[in-house]
Amino acid sequence: MATINLSMPPSPEAVAALEVGDLVYLSGEIVVTGGLPAHKRLIEYLQEGRALPVPMNGVFLHLPHMVEERPGGGFDIHYVNPTTSRRFDAYMPELIEGFDLKIVGGKGGLAPEVARTMARRGCVYLSLLGGGSPILSAAIKEVLAVEWRDFPPHFRLSKLRVEMLGPLTVGIDARGNSIYEQLEVRARERVPEILAQLRARRDAAEAAIASAGGNE
Amino acid sequence: MITADLVEEVSQSLYSASLRRVPPDTLRALEAARSNEESDSGRATLDLMLRSAKLAETNDKFVCSDSGVPTYLLEIGGNARWQGNLKAAITRGFARLVETIQPPLLKHVNNPLTNERGGMGKDMPAITVDLLGEADYIDITCIPKALGSGRWASIRTLISPSLEDIEASILEAIIEAGSQHCPPVVVGVGIGGNFDLTAKLANKATYREIGSVNPDPTLAAMEERLTEAANATGFGPMGVGGSTTALAVHIDYAFGHGYTPIAVCFNCWINRRAKARLYSDGRVERLV
Repeated sequence: MATINLSMPPSPEAVAALEVGDLVYLSGEIVVTGGLPAHKRLIEYLQEGRALPVPMNGVFLHLPHMVEERPGGGFDIHYVNPTTSRRFDAYMPELIEGFDLKIVGGKGGLAPEVARTMARRGCVYLSLLGGGSPILSAAIKEVLAVEWRDFPPHFRLSKLRVEMLGPLTVGIDARGNSIYEQLEVRARERVPEILAQLRARRDAAEAAIASAGGNE
Repeated sequence: MITADLVEEVSQSLYSASLRRVPPDTLRALEAARSNEESDSGRATLDLMLRSAKLAETNDKFVCSDSGVPTYLLEIGGNARWQGNLKAAITRGFARLVETIQPPLLKHVNNPLTNERGGMGKDMPAITVDLLGEADYIDITCIPKALGSGRWASIRTLISPSLEDIEASILEAIIEAGSQHCPPVVVGVGIGGNFDLTAKLANKATYREIGSVNPDPTLAAMEERLTEAANATGFGPMGVGGSTTALAVHIDYAFGHGYTPIAVCFNCWINRRAKARLYSDGRVERLV
């Protein structure tokens, strides 16, 4: 389990060197959104060949954020925190290919099919701490752009400048190894053993309760 | 007398408080989990959770950006004296919170028919009512329910199941939620009754203090072995692997028909909840 500082935009070599379980801190510019409608619109932009109002630089996180524009210009950064990435599974392969993303992230990982695309494109997934708002928000140093303001704040597409955002855990590496997929397979494999353990414990507990006369 | 104004004020303040700290029982459980966690990344994640909780409390920040949708449980004592439209009072309390809280909340209340987002909406907050025996108070529990703590709840209905069938079904619900609900979670289980009762039992079970012992010895033993079973799945803190997936499994049951609904729901690691007791003489005591 290594700890790695990455500057944005990430070099393909640095991304390729990351392994599942490594801890990563990001510094530099990142593009973020928390919204399904924003993902749909990103796909539309790709399909229509239009330039994004916030150009991608290889890093795209599922990071809802509450920022407010000050009357005199500039932004108040209130808080950020990751959201569940799995609900964007259907959009991610096209976004990763179309925008040549090297780092994606959020919480809960992405589907095995998305990991296949990531392996082809040399892209990793970083897990951010859900409920880590005080830590993650402190790493946001500047709001560079907030676009698609017809959406609620957390669905907008924004560019942030971060310093040492993390630690983030590598959940899927650039070879498509996914801790989420591995854990699910392993949990399923363990079910017979867990059920046997439950049965043994249940028999022992029932015998103890019967001998104590507590539950006739 | 418990007035509608008092209920409004308490509803507002409980919601705000619940967003800004991890309850003491949960902090203790996370610290214990930190000493027992077997994986390096699991320990690193638990450390980060404890740091986040501390920072939120010290600096009066939200622990999570997802302030969720508001749910309130009202437990009304048989001798409680109250007056006015309590539903409207709770709705006003939440509306006032949305208008005044700093920093502002993200708008998570969604119209399911149109997907329009706003701060308020029909039957929001979600209010559940229970009747207590002779008590001269009303307990109000407030839980903001976000995706991690709401999405993975499920009900499965089995026909005359054995205890073994029931436990296998609970394990299946835990594996289905997998890495998704910001573990380690509190698992609430309801067994029996009917569709809405079992869901309510499961939900209320998540509110119970971590470390409290179920008074029913059969359920107490079941809770202990199912907590071990949940942790044997290996999903771990934030679902990136480890031996801490559940901080606790809490179970309640009700007699019912031969068909037995089994409800399983979760509260994420921050286990947000706040509770106050409103006495008939107008005193307010904060319980959680």
